[in-house]
Amino acid sequence: MRFVVLVKQVPDTTEVEVDEETGTIIREGVPSTLNAFDEFALNVAVDIKEQKEEEVEIVALSMGPPQAEEALNKCLAIGADRAILLTDRAFAGADTWATAVTLSRALKKIGNVDLIFAGQEASDGNTAQVGPEVAAHRGLPQLTYVSEIEKLDPGEGNIVCKKETDEGHVRIKSDIPVVLACMPDPGFEPKIPNVREIMKAKKKPKEQWGIEDLGGKEDDFGLEGSESVVIETYSPPPKGEGIKIEEEPEKSVDELLKFLDEEGIL
Amino acid sequence: MARTNLSDDRELTEEQKLFKESISDWAERNLSLERVIEMNREGHPFPEDIIEGLAELGVIMGPVPEEHGGMGLTWKDQVVIADQIGYIDPSIATAAGFMAVETGWGFTLNRYCSEEVREKYVKPSIKGKKFVGIATTEPKGGSDVAGFESTAEKDGDEWVLNGEKTFISGVEECRKMGGGYWVNVRTGPQVEGAPHKNMTSFFVPIDADGMKLQEPYDDAGRSSLSTSGFIMEDVRIPEEYMLGEKGKGFYHTMEGFDLARIMIGASAVGVTRRVLEEAADYIKERETFGNPLAKYEGIQFPFVERYTEMEASKLMVRKVADMADTRYDEEGWVKRTGKAQTYKPTEIAKWISMIKYKIPHLAKDTADDAMHWLGAAGYSSEYIFETAWRGVMSYCVGAEGGANIQKIVIGRETLGKDYVPYK
Repeated sequence: MRFVVLVKQVPDTTEVEVDEETGTIIREGVPSTLNAFDEFALNVAVDIKEQKEEEVEIVALSMGPPQAEEALNKCLAIGADRAILLTDRAFAGADTWATAVTLSRALKKIGNVDLIFAGQEASDGNTAQVGPEVAAHRGLPQLTYVSEIEKLDPGEGNIVCKKETDEGHVRIKSDIPVVLACMPDPGFEPKIPNVREIMKAKKKPKEQWGIEDLGGKEDDFGLEGSESVVIETYSPPPKGEGIKIEEEPEKSVDELLKFLDEEGIL
Repeated sequence: MARTNLSDDRELTEEQKLFKESISDWAERNLSLERVIEMNREGHPFPEDIIEGLAELGVIMGPVPEEHGGMGLTWKDQVVIADQIGYIDPSIATAAGFMAVETGWGFTLNRYCSEEVREKYVKPSIKGKKFVGIATTEPKGGSDVAGFESTAEKDGDEWVLNGEKTFISGVEECRKMGGGYWVNVRTGPQVEGAPHKNMTSFFVPIDADGMKLQEPYDDAGRSSLSTSGFIMEDVRIPEEYMLGEKGKGFYHTMEGFDLARIMIGASAVGVTRRVLEEAADYIKERETFGNPLAKYEGIQFPFVERYTEMEASKLMVRKVADMADTRYDEEGWVKRTGKAQTYKPTEIAKWISMIKYKIPHLAKDTADDAMHWLGAAGYSSEYIFETAWRGVMSYCVGAEGGANIQKIVIGRETLGKDYVPYK
């Protein structure tokens, strides 16, 4: 079986600065990390691989600048078998549509993919669009908000997942291949690669693919291939400090009711 | 306000960056500063989970070759690890002190031990299942090797060891985990003017008959790694537990000291960085007379002076690690850098002495400064500074070689042997 995990390198900071002219995030000089949801998706893929008797290859796939290789190195240390970085000047400035086009072409080139894992969203853009768009481009079913894979049956060609909803969760069955947009339960702790795994990762295959490898015209990709235009990017004004009631439960309820009453909310 | 980050990892390899990241992630779950402070308050708590965690991370004895159960790391890799371990454990006790002793001495032990000792002690130690340490200091001799009185006499196929070792790191941990010590004894008469001759090293299991363990001392700091001693009364050791060559124990031991000192120097850089970061977070926030403390030259200037010294120290540590790598290349024992660069062992020892003398003092002085910057808050164990100060002081006064002994080595290598004050 072959799993592909779509991953993204994101700024490792809570204080993102935005270029006022272009509306894009300033990445220079900002430390980067593997997007947390993608890391969860990779952990899920590695867990399944470890449980399965049949041979499973996990491919970590990312689109980004050359330095995004760092995120892929981490994926290899966590347990991916192979990493592919889609990097080309023509890919720069891509919105989610163009990103999904690029990733989908790469998935086609990789071939014979049984499961495509993605993080539910990335911590920089928070669009949650790339996973579903990849599914659309590849003509595959998609399951979003997946927190657990309960059963994978390659013989029957289906998978049963736990999908989080506003009300709780649902168990849902899908044919494979399928795109799984994954989101961890609170408290999830990703696997920490040890020194031996990090050194082993150094010897695993890594490739870089550009526009010639994927085929197509330059205006299919990057800024040219993007359907959306950023008009303005701004930080919402900070919320007020709020009020914290630190009393015993019975007293705090009274305090809260009194406050809501005074504010005219009740 | 974002936490202060004084790390600059751009010159590190991809793997080294991941080592740091994994250690930080592990510490976030298992070894917060609060826990470091708490363990140092409790004293000798034997945090099994921490030791197992370090072993699982693979940060103990990284440079031991893969065929011997290690990771085959370079010393340049291992100093990055040691730096980060010092960062997460600024007391240089359970995490940093343990890692340093195990790595410096474990590597050297593995070089000179028999297959039996390797299988029984070195390999389990790499997995965090046993402890191997160093026991040289005696009541009448430490840096002054002329004072050593412990002996070993051959009796059939065995050696019979007698003597006392004192101020030994990790005896309590070794007792609980199992393991043993690299022990130096005399196997011949003391040679006039050359007291280091006729010294031989043995590996002595902690549970050998005749080993009388002493109660841990109540140290000023570094309390989550024990210090005590033991008496050897007719301890019988098989021939294959001799380390290296008979009569060459002093030279083998100095190699172990060299490597353990590199670990301490690197860890002390990490301690300094953590102390500076924690202090920076405070002095940028805390206002007096209408300004944050960090705005006042009386605080900002010593802060940047310590920061500059830390960065200089980091470069020294990297140079020393490179020297250590080439040393093992030249001996052909393990292939590390592929560089044919020649450093005499005494030249390497000089550089190692410079970092061992300088960097623990830098860490201690930085913690001292931070306590001054924070005032009463800095003096309390709400913050890491006093724990770091007390812990790192151990490496200033003696652990792995006192500062003044390091200066004698540096003097010998710069001014010449004629100016060595004590022979």
